[in-house]
Amino acid sequence: MPKRTIPSNERPERAQILRITLILIAAYLPLGGYLAVQISAFVGLLFAIRLASLRWPAVLPGTLPLAALTLIGVANAAVTYQGWSGQNAGTALFVSMLVLKLMELRRKSDIRLVATLIGFLVVVEFLFDQSPWLVLYLGAVVVWGIALLVDLNGGLEEPRRRGAVKVAVTLALQALPLTLILFLLFPRLSAPLWNLGVDPSKATTGISDSLEPGAISELVLDGELAFRARFEGAPPAADQLYWRGPVLWETDGRRWSRGEGIANSGTAGTLLEAGRSIDYEVTLEPTDQRWLFALDMPNSVPDGAFISSDHQLIARQAVSAVKRYRVTSALDYRTAAPDPARLAAGLQVPEDVTPRMRRLVDEWRNRSETDWALVQSGLQFFNRESFHYTLMPPSLGANPTDEFLFETRRGFCEHYASSFAVLMRMAEIPSRIVLGYLGGELNRVGGYHMVWQSDAHAWVEVLIDGRGWVRVDPTAAVDPSRVDNSGASRMLGAGPSVRFTLEQADAIARFVRNLRLFADSLDAAWQDWILGFSVENQLALLERLRLGELREYGLVALMLAALGLTLGVLVLASIRERKPFDPLQAEYARFCGHLAKIGLARVPNEGPMSYARRVVAQRPDLAPTIERFMDLYIPARYGPDDPRDVLMALSDLLRDFRPRSASRMRDLLRRSR
Amino acid sequence: MEDMVDWTRFRGRRLSGLFRRVARGGDGVARVGRRQIYILPTGNGLRFGAVLFVMLLGSLNYQNNLGLLFTFFLASVALVAMHHTWFNLLGLSVQARGGPPVFAGDDASFEVVVGTEGKRARYDVGIPAHETPHQAIAIPGGDCGTIRIARPTLRRGLSTLEEVTVETRYPLHLFRAWCYVQTDATTLVYPKPTQAAPEPGSAAGDTEPRRRQGPEGMEDYLGPRPYREGDSPRQIDWKAHARERGLVVKQFGGDQGQEVWIDWTELTATDPETRISLLTRQVLDAAEAQIRFGLRLPGLEEAPGRGDGHLQRCLTHLALYDHAQANDPLQRTA
Repeated sequence: MPKRTIPSNERPERAQILRITLILIAAYLPLGGYLAVQISAFVGLLFAIRLASLRWPAVLPGTLPLAALTLIGVANAAVTYQGWSGQNAGTALFVSMLVLKLMELRRKSDIRLVATLIGFLVVVEFLFDQSPWLVLYLGAVVVWGIALLVDLNGGLEEPRRRGAVKVAVTLALQALPLTLILFLLFPRLSAPLWNLGVDPSKATTGISDSLEPGAISELVLDGELAFRARFEGAPPAADQLYWRGPVLWETDGRRWSRGEGIANSGTAGTLLEAGRSIDYEVTLEPTDQRWLFALDMPNSVPDGAFISSDHQLIARQAVSAVKRYRVTSALDYRTAAPDPARLAAGLQVPEDVTPRMRRLVDEWRNRSETDWALVQSGLQFFNRESFHYTLMPPSLGANPTDEFLFETRRGFCEHYASSFAVLMRMAEIPSRIVLGYLGGELNRVGGYHMVWQSDAHAWVEVLIDGRGWVRVDPTAAVDPSRVDNSGASRMLGAGPSVRFTLEQADAIARFVRNLRLFADSLDAAWQDWILGFSVENQLALLERLRLGELREYGLVALMLAALGLTLGVLVLASIRERKPFDPLQAEYARFCGHLAKIGLARVPNEGPMSYARRVVAQRPDLAPTIERFMDLYIPARYGPDDPRDVLMALSDLLRDFRPRSASRMRDLLRRSR
Repeated sequence: MEDMVDWTRFRGRRLSGLFRRVARGGDGVARVGRRQIYILPTGNGLRFGAVLFVMLLGSLNYQNNLGLLFTFFLASVALVAMHHTWFNLLGLSVQARGGPPVFAGDDASFEVVVGTEGKRARYDVGIPAHETPHQAIAIPGGDCGTIRIARPTLRRGLSTLEEVTVETRYPLHLFRAWCYVQTDATTLVYPKPTQAAPEPGSAAGDTEPRRRQGPEGMEDYLGPRPYREGDSPRQIDWKAHARERGLVVKQFGGDQGQEVWIDWTELTATDPETRISLLTRQVLDAAEAQIRFGLRLPGLEEAPGRGDGHLQRCLTHLALYDHAQANDPLQRTA
């Protein structure tokens, strides 16, 4: 291709190259945390070369080194992510190529292309992070990019850069109402057209489907939100808020798991009796697992989920995005008896049972007449003996249950639930462990409960004849005076758990807490109205406008109408220009208006003198007034006279000037005869 | 790449009737109205639209509401920008005037004065030029700015700028709005002088340039004569003027009062345009040699004189001389 010379006004200035580089760096920064280090290293190197080349132009790579850099960039992305498929690989490749484009900014349109593609980069970034802060940050970056486009176009007043920013901000502000209309009314797809590239498997967060020592205390140290729940009507008491998750059957003495044979068998769990129903809506943060959390015991099944025979709600697909669902739970319930396989699994005891554990259970068995009384004995044991509740328990050796029960006696809910279930099984009472969350913090600002990862909990269910599965929480049996809450739990950032009453917070802590609640309600609104806005919301909006039956056509029509209206207002506001008011001109216009009414309108290219001559020639009867007007007007308008002196006179003259059309004059004359 | 869609180039002579032009008003100023503005996306605008489309599809497909939000924001910015592009020309007042005379073959220059009558300032208003860099100006509200343009000339006479294209890509270079404005600006084009010409008054065919007579500054005072337009103010006898004797010019004779007639009939070339070119050369040579000279064309005579004014008068005669009309017998008798 022959190299064409680039006209001087198409060559970018150094300051413009610097700015597009800075804008691209700013746009890349949030991605840095999500892409592999190698990608950031490559991109960072390119940025460094570009910045250095502004000072030392020789640094800029020529055609061959540039081709080599391109190959390195492609290979870097491919090797890092083992191929091209997947969101990370695609993003890495795109970013590498976009930043490479910085190396050849020969024309202004090259910069414009990079600025345009930054828009695409921004959209890609929202696949990684959807926080409002990122929106504000990238919004500022985009407006900066628009200002650069304005500056590149040129032809601005000095100081140019400030002028460009002003124009960009004006454009952005005027675009906001249109953006809102498009966002609300642009028809959405209810199902994706294609699906590729977005990898679903990320590290799971929240409760997993097994229980090992330390699993929950790790969660408790995680300050993240698990889900929000909005109750219809009064929320249940805090000690009723057991959010049920996975149910564990199988243990080897240390680790509890669901038990392959059991977990996936059986029919839907039904409740023989259900009382105190409560309706609520849960907004679950993505977990990449299939558990849906519901209060003990769920009595209805949300769309896209089913209920297992262990009364767990299970989604048909892993929850990879924020999921909202409605459930009804019964706070009083009686479950059906389990099938024989479950009955057997509920009595499975690990091999490392020690004699002193056996002695303990036998003692309870002798003392108690019923199973339920034995359960109570077990709870009293935890209460009476010097068991301590702590987030930082000593590590346990080969036989954790024995060591915990008789030696360390310091542990967390997982230790209590695990050892209690084992003891109950030894006493021939079928039991199982339930993982989930306990409690939740009421956000008065938003009117919903927030359940944090730090509310993660494990409890036990025992099978009692005639009552079905009964929830028993051995952790709650620990004497509150032996609860150690001085340590980590207060530094977690999570709210006080209902498990233990923390000492009354002081004013500053309360303030901080309220601030946090407020921030969370903003976040919830963000989730509901921006991130979760969907076809259903649009149709609901249409329903409210009584356009429901028009469906998508109604949306489009409404969108176009609203866009047209808003643009019209913007256009009118921009066109409207107040011309400086000239009273003399106004009098002249009035004068011409009077004459126009009798068919003697001024021709656009007619000056006052020739106009007056023409009018007088046609209507000599008007001559005195017209000549008097021109005598006053012309010197004031074109001569040295001060127009203010003649304004009154002109105004008086015109007040009595009521010319009649020639035909009307004739009529009047005829009649008077 | 820049402006792939350059519609002015597709606009042939035959098509030009289809395009609306901005006519001059009674005051000679053309004001750009709503129906006379054309607007189309630039190459950059088309690329911007393509990227937006990809963003829209991707965001819709992955139900990424924030992606949609930004896509819609950028689309709205482009939509608003399109209106700003259009406004930027609306109501502009355009008036063109010719520049100083040039010789045929040189570029005639014109000044296009673009103004706003309202308070709104205008930016990046320009006139497309194919060779010179596109020059764009900013016009503060209620003010005006001047754009100088050059048009190549081929023939002597009056070069009229019949129409200029006023364009803008403000604010984002996504759209180009333009309009065709009628003007009546003219620039005088002198005939292109030949390389050399026979000395006036001498035999035809003698192309040896005239030798200069004596060094400059050795000029003798020849006496006063009345002022004529075009005389240099330095030659005016200001003392005489102060004595209220009117404007009198002191005559010096670098050539001892030599006077030549540059005459159409003295030349033998058959083509009238060639003759005019030769005459132009003679006039220029004579003026350079500071000789008093007169010009005789069929039906037209310019009395001998000197100075810039005289030179320009002669060149103007040569520029506008219509030999066909002059050869008309009716004209000859006059």
